[in-house]
Amino acid sequence: MFVIETLIHYLIPHPSNNHKAKLLHSSSLLIIASLLLFFQLTLYLLPKTGIKILGYASRISVDEIVRLTNEKRAQAGLSPVEFNPSLSTAAKAKGDDMLAKDYWAHVAPDGTQPWKFFTDAGYKYRYAGENLARDFSDASTAVEAWMASPTHRDNVLSSKYKDIGIAVVEGDLAGVDTTIIVELFGTQQADTLPPAPIAQQGLTTQVAATPLATSPVVIPTASPTVIPASPTPLPTLVAVLQQAIASPIPSMIPSVLISPFQTTRGISLFVVGFLMLVLILDGLIVSRRRIARIAGRTFAHLSFLGMILAIALILRAGKIL
Amino acid sequence: MKHIVKHLPHYLSLLGIFVVGFLGFLIFSYDKGFQIAILASIAISYVAWGIIHHHIHKDLYLAVVIEYIAVAILGFVIVFSIVFQG
Repeated sequence: MFVIETLIHYLIPHPSNNHKAKLLHSSSLLIIASLLLFFQLTLYLLPKTGIKILGYASRISVDEIVRLTNEKRAQAGLSPVEFNPSLSTAAKAKGDDMLAKDYWAHVAPDGTQPWKFFTDAGYKYRYAGENLARDFSDASTAVEAWMASPTHRDNVLSSKYKDIGIAVVEGDLAGVDTTIIVELFGTQQADTLPPAPIAQQGLTTQVAATPLATSPVVIPTASPTVIPASPTPLPTLVAVLQQAIASPIPSMIPSVLISPFQTTRGISLFVVGFLMLVLILDGLIVSRRRIARIAGRTFAHLSFLGMILAIALILRAGKIL
Repeated sequence: MKHIVKHLPHYLSLLGIFVVGFLGFLIFSYDKGFQIAILASIAISYVAWGIIHHHIHKDLYLAVVIEYIAVAILGFVIVFSIVFQG
């Protein structure tokens, strides 16, 4: 009996709740919002306590990213970029560096520029660009996210680039099991050099200051240094195989206990859906019983929550940089 | 329902705000900061709509304003949490 009375009190307009479902009272709504915030705070603080049960499940294939990238380029009338093992080595080094130093940025906290990984891997670039992604569930959504961002799309659809290198690295980032995609684009000096010697490559401070997802066009320095115009030696088969073994190239399916995104979205969808049902029930009963009360418009609240529901449904996990 | 039909321009403007907000989320899916700004704008517009609507109907009370604010805060917290975790 008590349970039924409680349910009526919270879900149906009744004299006990001043003819408005208690769940729809401002105080109840604010309590629900506070509980959701507390839940988010818990998710945020959980990794800091040493309990590592959060993570993002993903199924990322390097081949798929290359294929999708070239598909986008073909649609734009551009020539495909070729998979370059040196660039992939650079991408893997960048991904590992982010996990080791626990950062999510183009420039490392110690000031290491993304272009350093290119040169360290033996890739002497003329043009270079970097796209980063994390927490995506598959390659397709990651590429689509890059395409939706003007700066990242510029990298994907740049005619300057001839090579692509991809690394998918999985590890602990800020206490959360994360999958990072590092996509590097480049064109080697050997591919663009004229027969005559040209200036030494180098990043100017201006380029270094704005390296985010941009293509640093190499600017000749004031005192050019002659460099040989010979092409970069092709990697040996052994080196390529070692690269393939070292990189988690085919696909990754990490074991994940709790996905912060999916958990948050699931709870949110339930809360919004349930509140909408209670609102509809409340509105129908008030309308049928012709109850006069001081309250907001049910239709307005329903529309607002409907929009919140729609937004919650279209949001996808994944960040790009 | 009669009330909605009678004040259709009011509700159409409200739905317009929501449609623009939803499209904003779709278009700027790559910019989470901007999405939060859109969300805040929608929530504020929603509260403003409520105040104007009830003022025109001469049934504007503090409890009603608080109710709109509470719904707006809840909606903001829900979407913000998902965007934050995404």
